[in-house]
Amino acid sequence: MKQFLLHLDETNTLGRRFIIQDLDETHLFISSDVLELLMTRVDDLLDQISFPINERE
Amino acid sequence: MGNNKRSKKDYSDKKTKRKKKEIEDETYVDDPEPLDEDGVPVAAKKNVEKDDAAVPEDEFGAKDYRTQMILKPDHKSRPLWVAPNGHIFLESFSPVYRHAHDFLIAIAEPVCRPEHIHEYKLTAYSLYAAVSVGLETHDIVEYLKRLSKTSVPDGIVEFINLCTLSYGKVKLVLKHNRYFIESPFAEVLQKLLKDPVIQDCRLRRDTEDTQVLINQADKKLKAPQFGAPSSSTTQPAAPTTDQPDLEVVVPEDISDFYNKMDKQDEKEDEDNIMKTVSFEVNQEKIEVIQKRCIEMEYPLLAEYDFRNDTHNPDINIDLKPSAVLRPYQEKSLRKMFGNGRARSGVIVLPCGAGKSLVGVTACCTVRKRALVLCNSGVSVEQWKHQFKLWSTADDSMICRFTSEAKDKPMGCGILVTTYSMISHSQKRSWEADQTMQWLKDQEWGIMLLDEVHTIPAKMFRRVLTIVQSHCKLGLTATLLREDDKIADLNFLIGPKLFEANWLELQKRGFIARVQCAEVWCPMSPEFYREYLVCKTAKRLLLYVMNPNKYRATQYLIAYHERRGDKTIVFSDNVFALKHYAVKMNKPYIYGPTSQSERIQILQNFKLNPKVNTIFVSKVADTSFDLPEANVLIQISSHGGSRRQEAQRLGRILRAKKGAIAEEYNAFFYTLVSQDTMEMSYSRKRQRFLINQGYSYKVITKLAGMDEEKSLHYGTRDEQGQLLQQVLAASETDADEERVAGELGGGGGGFRRVGGAMSSLSGADDAVYHEYSHRSSSNVKHPLFKKFRA
Repeated sequence: MKQFLLHLDETNTLGRRFIIQDLDETHLFISSDVLELLMTRVDDLLDQISFPINERE
Repeated sequence: MGNNKRSKKDYSDKKTKRKKKEIEDETYVDDPEPLDEDGVPVAAKKNVEKDDAAVPEDEFGAKDYRTQMILKPDHKSRPLWVAPNGHIFLESFSPVYRHAHDFLIAIAEPVCRPEHIHEYKLTAYSLYAAVSVGLETHDIVEYLKRLSKTSVPDGIVEFINLCTLSYGKVKLVLKHNRYFIESPFAEVLQKLLKDPVIQDCRLRRDTEDTQVLINQADKKLKAPQFGAPSSSTTQPAAPTTDQPDLEVVVPEDISDFYNKMDKQDEKEDEDNIMKTVSFEVNQEKIEVIQKRCIEMEYPLLAEYDFRNDTHNPDINIDLKPSAVLRPYQEKSLRKMFGNGRARSGVIVLPCGAGKSLVGVTACCTVRKRALVLCNSGVSVEQWKHQFKLWSTADDSMICRFTSEAKDKPMGCGILVTTYSMISHSQKRSWEADQTMQWLKDQEWGIMLLDEVHTIPAKMFRRVLTIVQSHCKLGLTATLLREDDKIADLNFLIGPKLFEANWLELQKRGFIARVQCAEVWCPMSPEFYREYLVCKTAKRLLLYVMNPNKYRATQYLIAYHERRGDKTIVFSDNVFALKHYAVKMNKPYIYGPTSQSERIQILQNFKLNPKVNTIFVSKVADTSFDLPEANVLIQISSHGGSRRQEAQRLGRILRAKKGAIAEEYNAFFYTLVSQDTMEMSYSRKRQRFLINQGYSYKVITKLAGMDEEKSLHYGTRDEQGQLLQQVLAASETDADEERVAGELGGGGGGFRRVGGAMSSLSGADDAVYHEYSHRSSSNVKHPLFKKFRA
């Protein structure tokens, strides 16, 4: 998951860089104003990789 | 991990989505000319599910049917609900479950069968199948009414009437080598004869020109009995006596009716003389006439009166006395030979539940020349072995016809070959040509189609034009395809005659008890980073080669080897397959592996206690009989294919020694790299097995893996090296292996690969060469010539 954020940061997908400090293996220090946007991005990612089991064709 | 959050958010917009979809569906139905549904009867196009648009829905999308269904006062003792949209829900804990279950299997498609409540769906095809095995409209409606907790909605009754009344009235019968259309209803035949297309197909013999219809009194014979004693099979009263302490009273009408239905087949035989009328049709135009009759809503049932066939010589085979049929096998065969004739159709049994024995028994019952078609050379050998094992057939009677083994066909009774061998359209050797010629000239009593779901309709039609066969029996474990071509089989072969319930067989110890597990392997940071930036094809390679996955595989293999289990590891990706296998020093089999080497590896796996693990690619998905294996690890797979998942599970389903154990005796692991597309595929793949009642356990961390010091790729450095190798691998390596006939729509083997001139001329660095070696070596294999050359 950290890698995903790093990826977003590097490619400037959100329009700017948001990571302030790379803390350790699993933690990043990011600016608070992009938090909401980031959450939706992560949700999108999870949507992509999960398959709705209830829907039948 | 994010699932909870997601689902909450989704509830609100799911409903609107569903509405939208319904509207779309409806506009499609209103469309005046659905052009692409050629040859499908009108009734089959009608979908009961669309009939309930007006029903109010609550906020979760549940439908309120209270106005249409009235609860009966004794609903507690009745096992099912029939919803107006054609879905039927059955309580599997009900005392009359067995009765209801047998009945529902006959008339409806199972949708989902977990432990307590089973869901079925009425479709036009399933009702056709019901009629073809001898149920009548009146009985279906009546019995449904009795079993239902509520009143049966009128729409459903109407639907059943619509689908069943016209079906099964006309039969296509092959008698004395001539095709007849036969019906007990003269008026139906008259109607058919007035149709210009059918008139055209009608065959008038010079001598009989004046005689319009052939009237005859048909003497029916008693239904054949199969080797096993029949006492084991009929126990309709058992459920009530099994649990007397529960004191549940089965409503008398239910059990009575059940008995009546059960005897129906036999009863039919006692009506010894039945008036039928028939006319003869031209053999070449069978397909035309079949299609036309379907359009006129009188689909033809194909039956073969093998007892009265004097033209074709009997072959001398019988079941060995040692061959004992299990109750469900016998039941499936009784459906096929219900009235003393052989019906064409498909029998669905889980892998490892003894499909071959059913096939062999069917051949022994018909006792005419039999043609067995299967997928690969290995399964040809296995079928031959099965015939020798269960029946009195010996080497001189069984002829193999494959690219490796060609026996002399003349005078043999059973020919075993592959689909591709028959439909092969290029030049053959002289010897093969002779055999083909002979094959075309023969009239086959029965054609057995193994793994019938795999063959594309086109190839199948080709086979049908070459081979003349009186009746066709399809065998499969998974009657589903991702491209939904499965409905074609209904008309190419016949209706589904029987489908077994996996969980029930498991409970009774006929197949192994399997623990399914999905192991989540976290992507290592470096790999995930690359995964995010690179293109789709490479992505696959990255998540398959995830070092954590490798470590998990190695750990599981080591763990099960210590337990003395036999493990098969599946990988669709050849690059990964080779890498894993070489690194762990285990034998592997994939497309280009030669037949003799395959057999050698399999023999070692079976008998050599030192070889406990083998790596295999897609080639082993179907019909690789490996009775010893009880652990299966899947490291990469063909996208979201449900069938592959089920077929692979089938490799370890064969009942193990001491089968009725409390605990699980087989294990099925799917390794999934976390946060990648693989998660989605894996969900998708599991649907079929979940619908059969299996449940998956998600393992996020394998306990004890950290203590294992001998695992490869423990350090960052090693992982980095692996990453370099993966990145250096060419794009074709990311490809899944192709198996002939699997990917019907694939067309040629064209592939657009981006690259510099230098790689075309072979001037890439050495690492590239190492991996491209594979594609050059497998050109040797005839199966792959077509795709890779």
